[in-house]
Amino acid sequence: MAKDGFDVDVPEGPVVTKDAEPEVGHQFFYFSEPTEEETTLSITVVGASGDLARKKIFPALFALFYEGYLPENFTVFGYARTKMNDEELQNMISQTLTCRIDKRENCDDKMKEFLQRCFYHSGQYNSENDFAELDLKLREKEGGRVPNRLFYLSIPPNIFVDVVRCASRRASSEKGWTRVIVEKPFGRDSESSRELTRSLKQYLAEDQIFRIDHYLGKELVENLSVLRFSNLVFEPLWSRNYIQNVQFIFSEDIGTEGRGGYFDHYGIIRDIMQNHLLQILALFAMETPVSLDAEDIRNEKVKVLRSVRPFQLEDIVVGQYKGHSKGGKSYPGYTDDPTVPKNSLTPTFAAAALFIDNARWDGVPFLMKTGKALYTKRAEIRVQFRHVPGNLFRGNIGYDLDRTTNELVIRVQPDEAIFLKINNKVPGLGMRLDRSDLNLLYKARYPIEIPDAYERLLLDAIEGERRLFIRSDELDAAWALFTPLLKELEENKIAPELYPYGSRGPVGAHYLAAKHGVRWGDLIDEYL
Amino acid sequence: METLHRASSSCWHPSSSSYSSLPESRNGHMRFGLGLVKVSSISKRTSQRISSRQVRTNPNSNVVRMQDGAVATKIAPIEGEISPMKRLKDGISPTTSSQEGNDLASFDVKKDESTVSITVVGASGDLAKKKIFPALFALYYEDCLPKHFTIYGYARSKMTDEELRNMVSKTLTCRIDKRENCSEKMEEFLKRCFYQSGQYDSKEGFTELDKKLREHEGGRIANRLFYLSIPPNIFIDAVRCASLSASSANGWTRVIVEKPFGRDSESSATLTRGLKQYLKEDQIFRIDHYLGKELVENLSVLRFSNLIFEPLWSRQYIRNVQLIFSEDFGTEGRGGYFDNYGIIRDIMQNHLIQILALFAMETPVSLDAEDIRNEKVKVLRSMRPLRLDDVVVGQYKSHTRGGVTYPGYTDDKTVPKDSLTPTFAAAALFIDNARWDGVPFLMKAGKALHNRRAEIRVQFRHVPGNLYNRNFGTDLDQATNELVIRVQPDEAIYLKINNKVPGLGMRLDRSTLNLHYAARYSKEIPDAYERLLLDAIEGERRLFIRSDELDAAWALFTPLLKELEKKKVIPEYYPYGSRGPVGAHYLAARYNVRWGDLGLEQ
Repeated sequence: MAKDGFDVDVPEGPVVTKDAEPEVGHQFFYFSEPTEEETTLSITVVGASGDLARKKIFPALFALFYEGYLPENFTVFGYARTKMNDEELQNMISQTLTCRIDKRENCDDKMKEFLQRCFYHSGQYNSENDFAELDLKLREKEGGRVPNRLFYLSIPPNIFVDVVRCASRRASSEKGWTRVIVEKPFGRDSESSRELTRSLKQYLAEDQIFRIDHYLGKELVENLSVLRFSNLVFEPLWSRNYIQNVQFIFSEDIGTEGRGGYFDHYGIIRDIMQNHLLQILALFAMETPVSLDAEDIRNEKVKVLRSVRPFQLEDIVVGQYKGHSKGGKSYPGYTDDPTVPKNSLTPTFAAAALFIDNARWDGVPFLMKTGKALYTKRAEIRVQFRHVPGNLFRGNIGYDLDRTTNELVIRVQPDEAIFLKINNKVPGLGMRLDRSDLNLLYKARYPIEIPDAYERLLLDAIEGERRLFIRSDELDAAWALFTPLLKELEENKIAPELYPYGSRGPVGAHYLAAKHGVRWGDLIDEYL
Repeated sequence: METLHRASSSCWHPSSSSYSSLPESRNGHMRFGLGLVKVSSISKRTSQRISSRQVRTNPNSNVVRMQDGAVATKIAPIEGEISPMKRLKDGISPTTSSQEGNDLASFDVKKDESTVSITVVGASGDLAKKKIFPALFALYYEDCLPKHFTIYGYARSKMTDEELRNMVSKTLTCRIDKRENCSEKMEEFLKRCFYQSGQYDSKEGFTELDKKLREHEGGRIANRLFYLSIPPNIFIDAVRCASLSASSANGWTRVIVEKPFGRDSESSATLTRGLKQYLKEDQIFRIDHYLGKELVENLSVLRFSNLIFEPLWSRQYIRNVQLIFSEDFGTEGRGGYFDNYGIIRDIMQNHLIQILALFAMETPVSLDAEDIRNEKVKVLRSMRPLRLDDVVVGQYKSHTRGGVTYPGYTDDKTVPKDSLTPTFAAAALFIDNARWDGVPFLMKAGKALHNRRAEIRVQFRHVPGNLYNRNFGTDLDQATNELVIRVQPDEAIYLKINNKVPGLGMRLDRSTLNLHYAARYSKEIPDAYERLLLDAIEGERRLFIRSDELDAAWALFTPLLKELEKKKVIPEYYPYGSRGPVGAHYLAARYNVRWGDLGLEQ
């Protein structure tokens, strides 16, 4: 198995990436030693001319190829409505391919080899005939080997079901597996999400659907479970006994920038909170799973989601950015975006407080905050611990014990890092305390480039590893939490609190935190 | 005896800010908690006043703290000082400081009422020259000494004041982070240094000293500190003479004593008895300079001011604790003293056992010296006395490397050729109490090893039912968390954690969350002697060893030491510059421990 070829230091075999389909997996994983039945992999990117395909999917596929993770026999097909020939597709792709910075040798050669495996087929998304033609071409390339087929749907949600229908009826693999990767949005609320799932399941079995949440593919999100479950020092701390609150923060320093049409229909809560942040919360808060198998992990995540108390309107603060001039430059407000209705109430910022009503987390506020057009681009998890009961050094700390508590910060971006804030004595005569940190800065420790989330997720889908993909019941539970709130926001036409482009967001977020006795960690330590 | 208070406070910089979030807060920006409060308008002096405080902690005392480094007292001598640590705590509490600052600012300045005289007995010795005088100068440079002070050197050699100053001046250096006015400061300091020659057992010599001290004290309340930097066989004589002939009449008199404090329970008890004929317990300051090290001081801060360590600090999570001390040189022609004591007495019975006690003690009621020492004694008394098979002893032999020959221990001319004195020892100790039952505490100390190092290593248990077991291979104990507190060189704290190696796939890696002092704190860390001298001047006893602690420590080691000597146990030889005898590994293996310092990764 390619992934485990990487595990040079680990004497034992495959561990995490257990495949759920051993009969297929076995043949596939030892592709380099031909067995009686050789397999081949065909990856079809549906919506090949789109932005995501060009910027993320093709480059990720190339990176996997470059690193030797793709099977020996593979074919990449682009499928879209645009008329294009293979040559033109290859041209288009080549413009966005880059080599990992730490290994540039033979990059050109590798690119050429990769592009030779890329083909194009033009067709309508709802035409079974066009997919039948694609099937013919795929068969040709597959040359009688056992074909495994992966479809990546990089298309708008309203045509998901059409494509799935056509692909599954006309271009499914007969002997190998067929899997479909679907991108968000997975509906707008419980009903539409359920409707989408029902339609997909008309043509696909649950284990063929790979709902991607690219945040789960981020290195430090992957590392979260490693930190929690392979370090004894965190084990006793991970509960209401020691943790005072947990914060999930995701901010972007850009607005919709003329591409607000899609966004305006969804808003930041659906776009970021209901999926990315909630998923990370579930991973953070889940009980120890029986094993690292996808089903075991997803079972635990669903349990967390189902224990979360449904939102009240007062548990959330919404905001929208407005125009702002700074240093002679003027930044447009959200409703200045020509693709956004002038009277739009869609939130571009939201902060929320969640509670998990189970034995481990009862009473611990989980705060989430996300927004566009803020002062910084950042994604992090902050765990604030309780204060030391009966602290001997109380006199040195001052009256507010909660301001000098330990804090564990897992910074997902930028500059991946883990740090643990501790109280420490300032060297010197006398007894002065200082909050410093025990830290691990990835850049310093691991000079290699960290792979893009899409690489990991594509590889996992190829290998049938479902751990980082969202199961239908997880999705249901996530929507069940947010749907009543979203409806209430829309029905009551709640006006978002306006905040200037490039600011720290609406101050309402602080009041929300204050209500639960929390301070946002990211706005205190600017230097970190 | 009355209290002398921390006279000036630049040594507490910034004295009123106890809690900073950034290192640069030293320079006039005080940070309370995490909020930045600029107090640049408050002068250094004001902040000194703010920190000087007595009124609040001890309202019954008629001692008043004054501004500007002067220790001002309206003295009626009082027995039993208020806990200095309490003062210390309040003294740097931001909540009280501003209010106190106002109070104090309104006091009249009564100057020049008390003075401290520091007499270094054995002034011509090595320790005095290399450590004591430089530490005194550093304290002076940092404005930590009271305004009125006098330093006397006392020894047998005939010397003039000028000659002493010359000798002292050769070893004075300024802290690297503040070089301004260094030579002026040195001159001023040297002007306060005087010399008196005399025999250590001569009352006349000390009477003469007393006369001179009085002269310098000029009628102020006189506090006197004697630092005995002399061989142990003349401790009692010097104490007798100093106490009978040169005690302060109206202030306090304190005596700092250096190790060795005896060779075993009996001789230590005799020494203590001898000292107590002339001194009270609270006049005796037994110094263990290891306790003055920055990171040893920090040990309690780490333990007691960070919630995350609280649940971990017991047998439930800690698999073993290692206390490691190594030197990369041998006795180098000065083995005469050492040979009579050996490494167990020289390092283990004091430095390492003291650190162990600090590490393992229960939470004290407060940070007061008596509370802390009470807890330390409890740990020592809960320990099993060492048995011969819990110890491995070694002695270094000569070794030639790269054309250079390093001499063996018995090649030292001052060491008997057939000496069996251990220059290396490793030991396993157990604390039979509820917190530590069954957890091995391993100690290792040696001379002429491959590096110079002092550290505390805490190895945690393995994760029960680890989901990632298969990634770790067969030996789960090799991938456990480890907390390392490195005292020297390069002060650092780090926590080894398991982490995913970035990249596709799931490969685990042991990396560290670390705090490297040199990177975080650009300031030079004061020498242990500075802290301890200052504490002795202030009557802060937290870092000094009480008689019952000493007794308990000897009780642990005496049977073992006697057995080693009676049975003439032959040490395991190890080459100069090596990692020590392999026996240490077998000792560790018996208790399922692996030495953390000799692993592949550092």
